[in-house]
Amino acid sequence: MKIWHLTSANIRSGKSAAFSLFILIVIAALLLNVGLTVLTKMGAFFDEKSEQLDEPHIVIMTKQSNYKPDYRAYFDNRSEVKATEEEAIILMNSVKFRYGDNDVSLGAAFLNADADRTFGPIRTVEELEGPAQAGDIFVPLGFQSSAGYKLGDSFEMTYQGQTFSYRIKGFYETTMMGTPNMGIMKYFLPDASYRQLMESAGDSAAGMLISAGLHDTNQSSEVRQAFDKQFPDKSMDVNNPLFWQGDSELVKSVGSITINVVAMILVAFAAVIVLVSLMVIQFRVTNSIDDGIVNIGVLKALGYTSRQIIASTALQFTLISAVAAIVGAALSYGVLPVFGGIVTTLSGLIWQTKFDAGMNGASLLVVTLAVLAVTLIASARIRSLQPVTALRGGIRTHSFLRNRFPLDRATGGLQLLLACKAMIMNKKQNMMVAVIIAAITFASIFSVVLYYNVASDKTAFVHLVGAETSNVIVNAAPDADSGKLMADINKLEGVRKSVILDMTSMKLDGETVFTSISDDFAKLENQSVYEGRYPKYDNEIAVTWVVADMLGKEVGDTIVAEAGDASYTYLITGLSQSISNLGQAAYITIPGAQHIMPGYKGTSINVYLDGADNAGFMEQIKKRFGSQVGEVVDMDEMIDGQTSIYISAVFAVMVIVLLITILVVTLILYLVIKKMIVKRKKELGILKATGYTTFQLMRQIALSFVPVVIAGVLAGGVLGSLFTNSVLTLLLSGAGIHKVAFIVHLPLIALICVGLIGLSYGVSMLVSWGIRRISAYGLITE
Amino acid sequence: MTTTELLRTEKLCKTFSSGGIQQHALKNLDISLVQGDFTVIMGSSGSGKSTLLYALSGMDKPTLGEIHFGGQELSKLNNDQLAVFRRKNCGFVFQQIHLLDSMSILDNVLASGLLVSKDRKAIAAKAKQLLAQVGLTEAAWGKFPSQLSGGEAQRAGIVRALINSPDVVFADEPTGALNSAASDSVLNVFTDVNRNGQSIVMVTHDLKTALRGNRVLYLRDGVICGDLRLDPYRPEHQHARHEKLTAFLAEMGW
Repeated sequence: MKIWHLTSANIRSGKSAAFSLFILIVIAALLLNVGLTVLTKMGAFFDEKSEQLDEPHIVIMTKQSNYKPDYRAYFDNRSEVKATEEEAIILMNSVKFRYGDNDVSLGAAFLNADADRTFGPIRTVEELEGPAQAGDIFVPLGFQSSAGYKLGDSFEMTYQGQTFSYRIKGFYETTMMGTPNMGIMKYFLPDASYRQLMESAGDSAAGMLISAGLHDTNQSSEVRQAFDKQFPDKSMDVNNPLFWQGDSELVKSVGSITINVVAMILVAFAAVIVLVSLMVIQFRVTNSIDDGIVNIGVLKALGYTSRQIIASTALQFTLISAVAAIVGAALSYGVLPVFGGIVTTLSGLIWQTKFDAGMNGASLLVVTLAVLAVTLIASARIRSLQPVTALRGGIRTHSFLRNRFPLDRATGGLQLLLACKAMIMNKKQNMMVAVIIAAITFASIFSVVLYYNVASDKTAFVHLVGAETSNVIVNAAPDADSGKLMADINKLEGVRKSVILDMTSMKLDGETVFTSISDDFAKLENQSVYEGRYPKYDNEIAVTWVVADMLGKEVGDTIVAEAGDASYTYLITGLSQSISNLGQAAYITIPGAQHIMPGYKGTSINVYLDGADNAGFMEQIKKRFGSQVGEVVDMDEMIDGQTSIYISAVFAVMVIVLLITILVVTLILYLVIKKMIVKRKKELGILKATGYTTFQLMRQIALSFVPVVIAGVLAGGVLGSLFTNSVLTLLLSGAGIHKVAFIVHLPLIALICVGLIGLSYGVSMLVSWGIRRISAYGLITE
Repeated sequence: MTTTELLRTEKLCKTFSSGGIQQHALKNLDISLVQGDFTVIMGSSGSGKSTLLYALSGMDKPTLGEIHFGGQELSKLNNDQLAVFRRKNCGFVFQQIHLLDSMSILDNVLASGLLVSKDRKAIAAKAKQLLAQVGLTEAAWGKFPSQLSGGEAQRAGIVRALINSPDVVFADEPTGALNSAASDSVLNVFTDVNRNGQSIVMVTHDLKTALRGNRVLYLRDGVICGDLRLDPYRPEHQHARHEKLTAFLAEMGW
């Protein structure tokens, strides 16, 4: 009871400080709860959704002309497979449409909405009332959450020069082919629309879809890869892009990686905020002991034990933290739908927030225990304090051995010099402020660098995903001489360079691996080899570190590659990284590929333009080379489309981090300056009495923090610039990334740093504005 | 001899309210102070002495009434205008001395001086000259207030009050916290500067201190109830002044 009295008296005497601390802990607990909830639920989220939507675990799509009944029979005969289904679909390799702010070109699979199916039936989230009409279309939910379409909107798409226009009848959820980053999207058309499209698109668009459901979802990748091994021929035909396969494991990995990264950023940021709160608590405890040292002496003299006094301090902060953590956890349920929105944007799936007592309890426990530990450590010195020492105001730890910034000699204006004196006087506190500001500046810069690379200069981000940033891909026709075609393209005006880069798959030591084949890897913009080098000669290969790890190989080792019946031994020359295909990839030269694929000459010519217009160039290619070229793809459009879903998510993260940074800077400065004014009340009164105006004193206080803020911002800025890539590498290491080389845009960072310094100065001025209400007389006599 | 008015109050009132209870500290005061005077304000505890001093100096705002000082009406100035007014026209000496703990003695003086003059060299020279004049040696200039004796610190406080050559120095019981020897040395400094024409308004309840003034105002319950004129202080005429002052104070019921 005695302890409770002391505690409540302490809280009452520092209400505003208790409140700002409360807010900090609320933010920390809120972020921690959101981050942990998302991180822990994400794994199960895709599986639960897949089950809820009756999605197939494996999907194989191919041109009807390439379809073989053996494909389905293969799945029917596998013991892991529970059920299979096949249906006719319309399959288009490249459909151009508007997605968000960009025109994108992606593969498209059209299913008949009125056909019976067990796997992946249409599950609309929103739908226009009334029966479906001819000209209606059902599109994935991502079109609403990420691309901004609404029910009833017109949806236009262009396929081989023909434009088709539909009315959006409904949005539906799907885990397979629901977002542009899968490279292909799935649509449902009512029977009339379906037939109409089939007629217009012709037989070349006729496709088949095989869906398989497994007993155990975790086997989906294994079974699909086994299918690849069984039927290696279909995917080796790089001239036939009309083949797509996916499994729930792959989809989950592609879909959840960004969400996981976002959640990890939130957790890391929450950790920063918790650390900030702990530092503030340490500061507050030390201060409250200093301020109340005489009271401590009185209490000790009255017979209170050190344990009781420490317990009252610990109870005070633990109580505030516990209540704040509960409020934070409760508020996180208000924020989780916002995060759910980000998840929906990234995955095209609805995230439903459920109450999780375990997670809330964990956040509460982490925050409260950390606060308790810091409070106990900070208040330990009460034990060694003798009552008489405390009654005399404690032992003065500050000795005025040097008069810093002497006013008769030091250079600088009077206000600045007085501010510098004040700054030196509060070294410990200023160190704390500098460290906190450095930490949150780092977080801000991290989020801004992330956004800049995803939204503005996407090259590094696209490279991270494993794609090549050419402007146009020209696919040579099967009978064309791709080497000669490339040489001719190189001569065209506006062409900077060109390189052949094909994608196929082959078996490395028995494992199927996605393989890039190029005539000259040195010409690629995406240099993903981080150790060793790309292959130059026919007996060389580079692999991702995931493959090397999986097969127990390193640079200098040999590896056997197989395609069909042919096999060849290659020397590993380099290790690379890729986020795609679960980080499993390999790279060989065209002469290298010819060892296992005799006659192989390369097909996909990646063209890099020198500022020329993509559409005009593509037109020119088609006109000039006619039958020599097959499909011509606008890569810029494709990249824009595939990355568009990330932009809004990363933007949301950036906004959250920046807002919280502003809030934390404001709170910290409020706490520190408020405390400082109370502590220096008499001194400020003397200065006011001698003729200093309120504004001058405010400026002194603000200026005394400017060097501290600048130091913190600079430290955070430099660390952010130097280590954002390292932190990202760490966050993405589980996804196959070994080295991230995001562009650190210095002008943008400078802008943030200047903004934070300006904000700090403004907040300092605002908080110290309170002095204006106090008269010189009042300041001296109070 | 012609006299020039330094400041004048009209119907000056100051009321404090606490817990709904109004306390009238100053009631309709009409005072006129003359340049070059050493005015002493006396009265019993709670009579309103310090309240009057801080109202006259623009440290606190009156509730009602006017204060005319150097052609300005202080009650119409806002806090910042009052601060600018104080730095140019007033010097302050406090009972608790109130030097800034974190600054050396010289810096304490310069923190006031550099507010008015930008000529750092000249102000530093003047500060050093004044510090020497009040008997503080060069060794003391770089020390911190806590390293000086009370008397030394208070003399530094007087130098801080004088650094901007104010029209008037306001002193609130400047010897209240000092021992006898220190008090004498401080009072001698006040007497010296007054002799050089510096106007001083001092609150005290100490007879020995009051003897230094040439005018004594006696305050009771917020009202001036006595105004005694004396000749300028001379040590050799102490006896007659003492008698005159004690008689006055006895009449005031002190």
